[in-house]
Amino acid sequence: MGTYCEIQVFETSRVNAKRQIRRLIEEARRLESKYTRYRDDSFLSQINGSAGNQNGIRVDIETAKLFEHAQVCYEQSDGLFDITAGVLRRAWDFNLKQVPTESELQGLLPLIGFDRLTWQEDILFLPENMEIDFGGIVKEYAADSLAKLARELGVKRGLINLGGDFAAIGLQPEDKPWQISVSHPDNRAKAMAHINLHEGGLASSGDYERFFVLDGKRYSHLLNPKTGWPCAGLTAVSVAANLCTVAGSFATIAMLKPKKDALDWLRKSGLPFVFMDDAGHIGGPGLIG
Amino acid sequence: MKNTASRSLITLSASALALPGIAKADAPPLNSSLSYKISSYREDDLSREQVPFGDLGRYDIDVHQFKFISPLGRDYALFIDANHENMSGASPWFSTADNDGQPIINMSGASGIYDSRSEIAIGARYYSLTGNIGGAIGYSEENDYRAKYVSVSGSRNFNNDLTTLTVSASHSDDEIFPSDAERFNRVRKENKRAKSLAVSLSQILSPVASFQTALSLTGQSGYLSDPYKLQDSRPDNKTQVAFSNSLRYYFIDANGALQGDYRYYRDDFGIHSHTLDLSWFQNVTNSLKIVPMLRYYSQSPADFYSNIDDFLKPLSENQSSDYRLSAFGAISGGLSFVANFGGWITTLTAERYVANEKYSAFTVDKPSPGLVQFTRLSLGVTYEF
Repeated sequence: MGTYCEIQVFETSRVNAKRQIRRLIEEARRLESKYTRYRDDSFLSQINGSAGNQNGIRVDIETAKLFEHAQVCYEQSDGLFDITAGVLRRAWDFNLKQVPTESELQGLLPLIGFDRLTWQEDILFLPENMEIDFGGIVKEYAADSLAKLARELGVKRGLINLGGDFAAIGLQPEDKPWQISVSHPDNRAKAMAHINLHEGGLASSGDYERFFVLDGKRYSHLLNPKTGWPCAGLTAVSVAANLCTVAGSFATIAMLKPKKDALDWLRKSGLPFVFMDDAGHIGGPGLIG
Repeated sequence: MKNTASRSLITLSASALALPGIAKADAPPLNSSLSYKISSYREDDLSREQVPFGDLGRYDIDVHQFKFISPLGRDYALFIDANHENMSGASPWFSTADNDGQPIINMSGASGIYDSRSEIAIGARYYSLTGNIGGAIGYSEENDYRAKYVSVSGSRNFNNDLTTLTVSASHSDDEIFPSDAERFNRVRKENKRAKSLAVSLSQILSPVASFQTALSLTGQSGYLSDPYKLQDSRPDNKTQVAFSNSLRYYFIDANGALQGDYRYYRDDFGIHSHTLDLSWFQNVTNSLKIVPMLRYYSQSPADFYSNIDDFLKPLSENQSSDYRLSAFGAISGGLSFVANFGGWITTLTAERYVANEKYSAFTVDKPSPGLVQFTRLSLGVTYEF
């Protein structure tokens, strides 16, 4: 998944644990090879390759349901969380630390808009030059999917960690909650905060080293799909929810909203969360220790 | 506007819960498995009072069952079943009256019956987001009997997967060609067909309780008599209706579940029956389960049942002295141990069954002298890989 992944399973039988983990890795690989942006043979690459194709592309139920969830994210964020916003990477290169011109961004904005996707039953028509990026959805979904599979395989206690997206199965041995350290946006090796996770999922969204500072201004890789410019809200946020997918949607949408709106919205949800703002202030109702 | 974000939570949770990896209620088995089970079924000998002449021994059956299950891709599963049974012993041949007018049994040939039955069935099932659909075909053969059958069934989950509706149908076509037909003037070759339709509904009532109810209808036609009995003539058609209910409740503190089943059955031979089952599933450790079981069964007699064969009656008139058509009650108890270690699941079951007209919930006018008592032991192993 292009990131650090870890599966922990607590079992009395080592043979069972190994078999369970083998099946879980298989499932993780299946989802990765289907939805990665980094392989030309992935189904996501085929979808993106179909842009402009008049026949569209037929998608399976799993992918269709991911699009449905993406639509809910789009609607709930008033268009801020948009899986078609990935084209902005064509103008923003965070390694080169270059700020694109307004006209470059204006040229890309017409290629963004979830509502520009059209469907005929299970056939998707992706307009020319547009692309889909399931960031903020698919890794979180994979964590939940693995946790569900683990339960079906008989796992009573375990933790799935897909690059910072967590799904817990039961509590830790001795019935302790899983204590999860959330990385600091400026330095992944440092912990920003700790969150206690009982059952369910935890997801984080943030700058995480993918930002640059130019002339004293911080440019985050989280871009507003309506303007093409970085969002100037929170620096990082971690949310816990019944599902990692739900936590991920909340974290991503919160990062795209202005700071005050984001915090109000998160507080109203009643979900435990931890955030860091641009001044380095850390807070939130999920904070422990 | 007060609850905007809470509404977001509900909306986002609802769409996340619809994702297949999270929602998938119906999935093929996750692993392949190979099972073998050996059972030994032993009927108690009859007493000299019941059988004045000849052997007292009854039926013994040894059963070997093999089962192979394998997922095929992500959405399909394959099932193969193969069974082999060896039967030996004797069964009631005809019934006469002793000097006091009480029924006595005459057993089938002193040399006894030896037979074996082999069966193979193959099935496949497709699992979708909302349910599953599948079918099977089977074939079984013994010295004097051949059966072919086909079955299909489909399940659909709705109401957030809390409710499952299952519909199944089956058809079987059997041939009967009794041994020594000429010598004993038995039928040479007969056919029997059965069609069955069943509908069941299961409902998860709470995280610890579930309920299932089912209705099944079976129609049999053809030769329904027992060709090995001297005087046995049953109608050519039979309609059977069964209504089953099952409630399972998990007691968190006891780490065990109680399951109660009740089944009502009736057919147009005139038999009504009640079956009441109670099982307790006790988890002892994560890998050991103990299941004690108790069952009560009682039925009314078939309209044409007689405990003494009337040889003056023409065969065109229905009559049978088969103990299975008499009024009786039966109590059985069993105990199972299920152990799961390192991919191996071992099941050991012992069961004792006692039938007696005294246990009957129905009036017994003509008690059968041939009611059966049996002991069954079975040992099964399943290996998942």
